[in-house]
Amino acid sequence: MTETAGHFETVEREAAGCPVMHRDFAPQQAAGCHWQLADELREASPVFFNTFAQGYWVFTRHDAVRDIYKTPELFSSESITPWQPDPIYRFVPTQIDAPDHIKYRRIVNPWFSPRAVDAAGPRMRALCRRLVEEVAPAGGCDFVSGFALRFPTEAFLSVAGIDPADADLFVPWVEDFFGGFSGDPAGLEPMAKALDGIREYWVAALAERRREAEPREGDLASHLLHSTFDDRPLTDAELLDMLTVLVLAGLDTTRATLGYLFQHLAVHPDQRRRLIDEPELIPTAVEEALRFYTIVFGDGRKVTRDAEFHGVQLRKGDMVYALVSGANRDPRAYERADEFVIDRQRNHHMGFANGPHRCLGMHLARRELQLAVQEWLRVIPDFRIADGAELSERGGGAMMSLTRLPLAWEVGS
Amino acid sequence: MRLRVDDTSCMGHGRCYQMAPDLLTYDDEGYVTIRGETIEVPADQVEAAEDAAGTCPEQAISLIP
Repeated sequence: MTETAGHFETVEREAAGCPVMHRDFAPQQAAGCHWQLADELREASPVFFNTFAQGYWVFTRHDAVRDIYKTPELFSSESITPWQPDPIYRFVPTQIDAPDHIKYRRIVNPWFSPRAVDAAGPRMRALCRRLVEEVAPAGGCDFVSGFALRFPTEAFLSVAGIDPADADLFVPWVEDFFGGFSGDPAGLEPMAKALDGIREYWVAALAERRREAEPREGDLASHLLHSTFDDRPLTDAELLDMLTVLVLAGLDTTRATLGYLFQHLAVHPDQRRRLIDEPELIPTAVEEALRFYTIVFGDGRKVTRDAEFHGVQLRKGDMVYALVSGANRDPRAYERADEFVIDRQRNHHMGFANGPHRCLGMHLARRELQLAVQEWLRVIPDFRIADGAELSERGGGAMMSLTRLPLAWEVGS
Repeated sequence: MRLRVDDTSCMGHGRCYQMAPDLLTYDDEGYVTIRGETIEVPADQVEAAEDAAGTCPEQAISLIP
């Protein structure tokens, strides 16, 4: 992890007490470097101004990040990527502010509630078990492509009432979409094409369901067609925006967290053994993974009015970047913040964000992560990172994610 | 001891009813059912209530001795 040495060469000057940097957060790095960078920035200053792109504020500590999430009237979600103040996509309800936001959330909340996740639990466990049992005899696999991309995709499609076999379509779309955040302009065209592909899929699915008088049981698209917003049906644009963001948010995030959690378990056999002996700690370990390996490097927001905030003067239209990955490791907020404490209690992490935009799919994601650990450890209790594997991660432009994770294990008779 | 859930702060993270399943439960949307209410905490649930309050990412739970 020597790549982060010299980060502060980019801090060129001090302006009004606020350090200035010029940094592109998007490019790929060696695995783990984004958290190291977030730690360094947090301990160097509570706030920076980054002159990259149009320029934006970077808040590094737990208290400010939390206040950004919890003050949506000052910090709009109209753009959530600080270097794209006017994005080409519009996620509903992700990029919708009050008062409409909660109306959309109420339509989809029950679909991703603990009750719904409980109901889907046995189906998801069966999907997970089949994938683990498929890879187990090989004695090794790329965990990312062999499991982490497949399981959350199939689980999500199953919850949405879609044939899990369509995972073959969705996986490359989601890869290309998030590739568009890399900062490389060459990624923008595949990003737009992937968006088109996802939208066309849903246009066809909606057309098939639109003629039906009653909602299909267990079918998310059909449920949305029969839902109302202020006593009117959802428009075609709203339907497509909602379904599209659910796909993008539901598939890539869990995949990324799975990668880091299993990397951690691969290199900490004592903790792996503890989860086998004390499986009741698996939910606690999952929460700690969400804190310690927060895959969202930072969350962007757009300032709605001139205001002073944590010592800096914000102007209407400014973009801010709330470094939640560093905030979740802030020693001002957590004891032993820099350690993965597998039985950490009272873990009030912001791994699913905070405030009204907290992750819709959190209950589903948690269950998927818990199931993955349970089923994997049942079949493959001992595994390691394959010899000679060098791990790199996609950048902080969207979600951090291991590009590959080659694992190896002994195959028993 | 009494436990209060602030109506506007609670965002339905679900950590409280995970920590105190014998004291708290969820509604159809995943919010704790006692949003905006104050309940008595039985003696055998005090530690669970403290865990729930300490785990809430929104700091929406207050304990009243």
